Order: sequence, then C-alpha cells, then structure tokens
Amino acid sequence: MESQNIRDKKDKVAEERVHLIVFKLGNEEYGVRIDQVKEVTITPEITRMPKTPSFIKGVSNIRGDIIAIMNLEERFRIERPSGEIPTHSYTLVMEAKDYTMGFIVYEVPQSLTLPVSNIDKAPSFIQDININENFIEGIGKHEDRLIIVLDIFKILTSDEVLQLKS
Amino acid sequence: MKSRDQEYKEIFIAEALEYYDALNRHISDLEKSPEDEQLLAEVFRLLHNLKANAKAIGYETIADISHKLETAFGLIRNKELIFSDEVVTVLFDGIDLLGEMITNIDGTKEVEPSPALLRNLDIIINSQGENTSELSKVQKYYTSKNLSLSDLIYIQIKKLDHLLNLVGELIIDRDRIFSISKELDHDDLKSVSAHLYRITEELQYSVMDARLVNVGSLFNKFPRIVRDIAVAEKKEINLEISGSDIQIDRNILQIITDSLLHLMRNAISHGIEKADIRKKAKKTPQGNVTLSAQNDRDTVILKLIDDGKGIDQQEVRRAIVQRGFLSADAAEDLRDTEVLSYLFEPGFSLAKEVTEVSGRGVGLDVVKNAIDSIGGRIKVDSKKGEGTTFTLFLPTSIAVKGALLCQVEENFYAIPLMHTDSVVALPTSELHEVGELLVADINGETITIVSLRELFNNDITQYSVKKNQLDGDAQNIIIVTYNNRKLGLIVDKLLRQQDIVIKALSKPVNTIEIYAGVTLLGSGKVCLVLDVAAITRYFIARR
Repeated sequence: MESQNIRDKKDKVAEERVHLIVFKLGNEEYGVRIDQVKEVTITPEITRMPKTPSFIKGVSNIRGDIIAIMNLEERFRIERPSGEIPTHSYTLVMEAKDYTMGFIVYEVPQSLTLPVSNIDKAPSFIQDININENFIEGIGKHEDRLIIVLDIFKILTSDEVLQLKS
Repeated sequence: MKSRDQEYKEIFIAEALEYYDALNRHISDLEKSPEDEQLLAEVFRLLHNLKANAKAIGYETIADISHKLETAFGLIRNKELIFSDEVVTVLFDGIDLLGEMITNIDGTKEVEPSPALLRNLDIIINSQGENTSELSKVQKYYTSKNLSLSDLIYIQIKKLDHLLNLVGELIIDRDRIFSISKELDHDDLKSVSAHLYRITEELQYSVMDARLVNVGSLFNKFPRIVRDIAVAEKKEINLEISGSDIQIDRNILQIITDSLLHLMRNAISHGIEKADIRKKAKKTPQGNVTLSAQNDRDTVILKLIDDGKGIDQQEVRRAIVQRGFLSADAAEDLRDTEVLSYLFEPGFSLAKEVTEVSGRGVGLDVVKNAIDSIGGRIKVDSKKGEGTTFTLFLPTSIAVKGALLCQVEENFYAIPLMHTDSVVALPTSELHEVGELLVADINGETITIVSLRELFNNDITQYSVKKNQLDGDAQNIIIVTYNNRKLGLIVDKLLRQQDIVIKALSKPVNTIEIYAGVTLLGSGKVCLVLDVAAITRYFIARR
C-alpha cells in the first residue's frame, strides 16, 4: 500500500521529497520515514523480559512510558561486521497504530531528505533475503549511497511480533 | 459473608432512619415557623428520597405513606393546604408511622398502617384542608418511642487508608515471624504464627472490602446532572444506567468522578444533536446516553455511550494541523484510531463555542491523566453520525497494591501480596525430585516448587529442574496461592515488601502470559509484575 502511495505521489509531483531517518544495521544503511519516528534517544536501561524472543531485548522506561525494545539486527538476522556488540547504542522510538516501540541502532541516526523519485520499489529478489515479508518499502539512492527504506509499520504489526506467546 | 440483598437492606434502614430523624427535627421546627420555605423544601426532599429508596428495595407500604406525606407537603408548599393544627397532627402521626415501620422491617411483626390514619391523610390531600372536621382521632397503638442509634457509621476514607497501610506493615512482620517460627521449630510459636497468619489475611481482605462501594453511588448522581445539562443545552436526553451494583474501590471512584462528569457534559453538549437535526438524521428526538459498568476479572469497565453526531475524523485532522501538532501531510496519513488519540493531547479541543457547561478548555487530557494515575486505561470509539463511546478500564481495587519484591538473576520482579502466602528459606535437602519437578513438604502440605530462573530461561514444555542445578544449601521460596492451590517459587533474593502501582504492559509484549503488568520502582528501575494465576496454571496442569 505504501509503495502504491509512493507511485501515486510520484505521478502528482515529480519533485516531492521524503524525509528519512537513516541508520546502520550490519554494513548497510536503512531508513524509515521521519513521521514514524517519535524520538531518538540514547538507549536507556533495558530490563530483560524472560519468555520473549531474543530479538526483544526487554522493556525500558522512556519518560514514564514503558515500551518494548527490539534489536532489528537480531530480528533480521543481520550479522555485525565486527562480530562485537558496541557498548553504546541509540534507540529509535517508533509509533505504530496503538503502541510505541524502541529499536536499537549502534550509530547516531542521520536525517536525510531525498526526492521520492529516488526511491525504487523493492525488486522482487529482495523478498528472498532475511528481511522478509515486504518489510522493505523501497531502495533509496542518494549520491553513491544505497538506503533500504523499511516500512516500520509492517514490522510492528507483523504476526510474529504480535503473537508473542510464552 | 452477608448477601448483597441483606447489605442493601441494612443500608436502606440506616438511611431511612436518618431521614426519619431529620423529618422529626424539621417538622418540629416547621410547626414553630410554618412559613419557612427552606424547611418545607427540605422535608419535601427527605420524603421524596425515602419514597424512591423504599420503592427501589420493594417496601411498597413505606413508599406509599411517604408518597402521601410528600403530596401533603407539596400542597402546603404550594399554599393549597394550610399548616393548621389538625393537619400538623395528621402529619406527625404519619411520620411516626413511617419511623415505626422502618424500625420494624427487621422485626418479627410487620407494622400495619392504621386505616384511620391513612384515611386522614387522604382527606387532607384530597379536600385540601377544607374538611378538617372529618378527620378522625387516630389511636396511637404504636407509641413506644424507642431511642435507637443507626447501624451504619460514616468513616473518613483517610482512616481506612491508614488502616490499609498498617495492615501492609503487619503482613511484613507476620511473614518474618512465620519464618522465624519455622527456624526455631517451636510448636507453640508455630501454631501462634499460623493463627496470626490467618487473622492478618482476613484483616487485609476485610479492610479492602470495607473500601469497596457500588458504582451506583456515583451513577445515581447522573440522572439529575444529565437533566440539568440537558435543560441548559435545550436538549432532551434519555439516560440509561446499568451495572450500578458493580463494586469498586472508593478512592478510584472518587478519582474518576470529575472525568466521568466531564465526559457526560461533552456527550450531551457536543455529542447529542438538537432535536430537529436528530429528526432529519432519522433518529429519535431524544438523545440516548448510556452509562454502564461491568466486571472483567480485576477490572471494572465503565462505558459512556451516546448516539449523537459522533466525532468527525476530518475535523480532528484539521484541528491537529491547526494546533500545530502535525503537518497537513502527516495528519492526512494518520490512521483513524490514531486520529482519535489526539483528542487526549493537552490543549486539544474541538469546541468552537464556549457553552455554559463545556468547552472551557478543560480537555480530555485531564481525563486521561486521572485515569492513568490509577493505572487505568481509556479508549474512544466514534462513528460520524452514529455516536461516540468512551470506555474506561479501571482496576477494581486501588492500584497501589502491596507486593513482594524479589530478584531473579539481574532483574527485579514483584508478586502481588494478594497471591503470596508465605516466605520460607528451605534447605535444598528438603526438596525432592518428582519427575521433572521439585516438591517439598511445607507445614504438612506437599507443594510443587518451581525455579523461576529455569522457568524464565526455558520453554515451558522443557521445564525440568534437578536439585543439583540449584545454587546454595538453602533456597528462598515464596509460596504463592491461586484458587486455593499453592506453588513455591524459588527466587535468588528476597528484597522487600512495597506498595506498587501496576501499569499494563503495552503491545507487543502484553500477551506474555506470565506477566500481570509492570511497575516503576522509586529508582526509576522497571520491575515486572508476575501473574501468579498464569504461572500456577502451567504447573497445576503439568501435575
């Protein structure tokens, strides 16, 4: 649906731009639309929550709201280039329909604006790799960088996350 | 436990006797100053309430006599009946009769109203004081004026709060005594501490029970409030109330009172349309508002439903942009449910004009804050043209619950005291392996002992604990009870007892069964609250 939107918008205004928050997972750069991001913060203390999948790191207290924290690298089974987990990390706080969730990233996320026309709809072969189930909204190109644009809403509502059961 | 009917009856009698006392006082004053309109109004009000209460609980004769007296005072108020000596006598007789009947509700013989008195009452009502000569002398066979004090007392809620705190502290000491008595292995001490145990438990439940009130005590105020708002707004409202007998902690009810009032004002002033508009929309000319309560496990669900014009999503979107919450594009992209959630943002109001009762800038954010503060939840659903429903999910008992804090690995966990039975330190040697489980004999009872560490780190189907996996010579065990079943939970460390405010977990982690919620400790540390019921169910099923 989102990619449909992108095409529709492309037809209307050629110069329409999209504002992304860009972060690194593994070796690649990923982006999410800025309006899906509530805030970026230094990862607060995470309380481990037994009986959840390992990619759910636990829950954190962000300004009185207690939200679940997910590690997208683990979720998508992306290997860290160095193999080591940095001690310092940031949390992207994202909003889904009726809840909020945090995603861990290890480098300061950047803000980037690019023309919608620079985002190609994800080619079908991408469906084969680990980031499955149409989580990819498209592939953005900026100068010589390649940015994988994620549809965070689909990640948040995917059955796998919602049907967490002990 | 007394049945609810019995409880209602006692409350009725106590209230009715109070009314009776007040009536006696006022009518004596009235005799001295018959012109006092305030006194008359008060007498009228008391009789009216008495009539309504008696009718509600099914005492038709009391309702009937009250009605006759009310009519008589109504006439006096309208100056259609003169407060003459003869009339006064009849009225005094009538009130005495009421008192007699109320005090004898619980008695063996039911008081029959004297026919002569009834006739006298009818005469003064119907002839409007012209034919006082027809009044017959009423023989007072119910003259025994017993002085009696009410069975109900009023108590400041503050005192109950204090009592609950004391019970909490008592329970900590009780648990310590309990474990010391085990260590000392002294028979007398053990039996005393077991007794102490039961008593404190009962004490705790009694205090919590004493704090419960019917939702009706708040709901019953609404017919009048709704009427007043409706009159001010020139609208006709049909109010339906259901679930008045659902019970809830008095403080919780107190905290949401203003919120409910605010929502009701909104519903009538902004929700319900004027009669002519309703007719065009093929609705009944009267607006329908429903206030309902129901129980769901430990939650009381209050609903306020109106069949008014509903909330216009587009209007909200425009307001979101206008008030600078989001850009126009972003507002357009919002999902419908998300749009409605902005209604709870501070400073967000859709009211275009300030009416007498609403639209004064007290927004829904205040309502949301109040409900959050007691660990509740609020939800709004609305369909344009069809109406709006506000749903409040409230804890039955005050959200501040006593809990036992413990540590397993690096995490803190809270177990609500409601479910804790006792705390023991048991030598590992007293644990026995039965299949994949451990059991122990504690106070003559065979109890399944569960290692929380193993439970947390393994799939439930693979749960298996052998004694050699346990650290140390002794295990800290919290005995929990659920549905009369006991289970021992091995924890790494017992921390302390503390009052906690339980918050619900949000998606997507809200479906993990073993957690009842989460709480923030004073240090800001997140502490998970264990759902004893769910954990017990696992292991009871296994056995």
